[in-house]
Amino acid sequence: MITSLYRQRALLAVLVMRDLKARYRGTFLGYLWSLLNPLLLLAVYTIVFTFVIPARGATTVPYPLFLFAGLLPWMFASGALLDSAVVLADNGPLLKKVVCPPEVFPAVTVLSHLIHHLLALPVLLIAIAVAAGLGELRFPWTVALLPVALLLWTVPVAGLSLAVAGLAVHFKDLKDLLHNLLNLFFFLTPIIYTVSQVPAGILRRSVMANPVAPLVEIYRGVVLLGQVPPLGTWLWATLVAVVFWWFGAFVFGRLRETIAETV
Amino acid sequence: MSAPASVRLEEVTKRYPLLTRRGRLHSLKGALLGGELWRLNREEGGFEALKDVSFEVAPGETVGVIGPNGSGKSTLLKLVAGILRPSSGTVDVRGRVTALIELGAGFHPEISGRDNALVNGMMLGLSKAEVLRRLPGIVEFSGIGAFIDQPVKTYSSGMYVRLGFAVAVAVEPDVLVVDEILAVGDEAFAHRCLDRIAQLQRQGTAILLVSHDLGLVEQLADRALYLRGGSPVLLGTAGAVVARYRSDVASEESVGEAQVGTPRRWGNGDVTLDAVELVDRGGRPVRLLSSGEAAGIRLAYTAKAAKTDFVFGIAISREDGVHVFGTNTELDGWTSERLDGSGEVVVEFPALELAPGRYLVDAAVHSKAGLAYDYACEALAFTVAAPVGWPGSYAPRHAWVPRGPAMRPPAT
Repeated sequence: MITSLYRQRALLAVLVMRDLKARYRGTFLGYLWSLLNPLLLLAVYTIVFTFVIPARGATTVPYPLFLFAGLLPWMFASGALLDSAVVLADNGPLLKKVVCPPEVFPAVTVLSHLIHHLLALPVLLIAIAVAAGLGELRFPWTVALLPVALLLWTVPVAGLSLAVAGLAVHFKDLKDLLHNLLNLFFFLTPIIYTVSQVPAGILRRSVMANPVAPLVEIYRGVVLLGQVPPLGTWLWATLVAVVFWWFGAFVFGRLRETIAETV
Repeated sequence: MSAPASVRLEEVTKRYPLLTRRGRLHSLKGALLGGELWRLNREEGGFEALKDVSFEVAPGETVGVIGPNGSGKSTLLKLVAGILRPSSGTVDVRGRVTALIELGAGFHPEISGRDNALVNGMMLGLSKAEVLRRLPGIVEFSGIGAFIDQPVKTYSSGMYVRLGFAVAVAVEPDVLVVDEILAVGDEAFAHRCLDRIAQLQRQGTAILLVSHDLGLVEQLADRALYLRGGSPVLLGTAGAVVARYRSDVASEESVGEAQVGTPRRWGNGDVTLDAVELVDRGGRPVRLLSSGEAAGIRLAYTAKAAKTDFVFGIAISREDGVHVFGTNTELDGWTSERLDGSGEVVVEFPALELAPGRYLVDAAVHSKAGLAYDYACEALAFTVAAPVGWPGSYAPRHAWVPRGPAMRPPAT
């Protein structure tokens, strides 16, 4: 799978460019939307959670930033997965009429969502810098570990995207099912709350058992909180990443031959 | 045929599993937990779209695939193109294969023709640099001009397919797979497409052509494969296979009369014409010529008994029946001495200056008194292409010499 994608890297690059060009074609602000969307989102959160529902005390950092740092990678993952569910159907003509390896399409979806994520990152980093300037928090130099945290997100997301893309060709229901599953996982994952807020017991254990939780912990830890999570969390996250990738590549590999004739 | 085949199919069978209501897998649960993923590639049963098909295509050879709807033609093309895998048997393809199954397939409407050409070209196996180098040629061939930088959603359907064709042939494939697409675009573009296909034929591209246009198959293909219900019925020279298909269709329609276009042939059979072919300068059979090119008409014969009284003749007519040219060995002053066994005669034309269009050839061998040994009407059909659609039948080399009027010569 990896070697096939590597051989297609030039095609991948061109397709990612096509995706990005097509997305903002004809809009006045163009790529600025990639910056503007998260900025507006952050502004709304800041207003709501500062003035409407003041949420203080639970987190050591301003709550809007806490929320935002958890939401960004989640949006990357859920966006990529939801798009993967339709990407093969959308590119049906290419698969059926032109010879091309199907795995490039979920890969392109993940890459273009990753690029959107990278475009949104400056908003978060600048907001953190501003908050640090205002004395709300200490600037987290652990941000240097961000590339590792991103890699830990990208690998499992890529794997799941492959599985979702391959299965969605055979099961159109998957898209709706996925939507609901993602909603459920969103609340099962410590994004809008911290693990310590969850009452100890079965509830906390299920949050801890959620494989996405360590990914969020690591990402938010290094980018915002200035904490490097313990080694166990890293190992757990790495295991999750490898297993998801392996699972996705396996499922896709089994379905690969059936895609062109089914899509 | 000593060169290795560009395409080789051996006992290829393609089975489509019968889909359940929801598709090939029965349930998501079954797929993920019940092990259906493991059994997926070991399907038995289902619908056989293609059964035990074997044939080869040599480099530079064109094979037409004909047959009624649902006979497995498109499945065959997709197998050769690598879009589908055979259920059993082997498909061997040497070199780069390009499929012209749907022109402009997968163009993204929101991005420019240039970017779409880049994506499609790369999908067809070119590197980015190669596509960029060929882009001016693509733009020129498609005649799209400045529109190349507009999003393709603004294109007319003609521009769309022209760009698709231009990209596909720019790839210079070793194997070209064509499905029923030459019927697109206007007359001028159709001619350019045929020209380009003839050029690919000369360059040694192996072409597999599916079409319901039997005339086109006769023109372009050297051999043809006739499929029915997924099984090969006949594989042979294009003319013979097309004739068989036409007669099958005719008998199915229970029309008693001779079909228009069915070759008519009579004679006592003392001498038979085994082949009537148009050959190019190098003696290779062709069905498409450029106007003014050297060509010959080759007649291969077998005499059952030795003959001293024989005349070979040919006649060329336009498709609409207008007689263009005819001659025979007696008319040209040759004296017949002896005819025995098998051999061939060729009428050579240093420059066949015919107007563009489709021509039919009658060929005959008969006695001086006119007794036909073998007289084959419309034994051969060929097409002449020209850069300009001159009307008529004769297209001599010519030049305009203005002495007075202010005129600009055509840009070359």
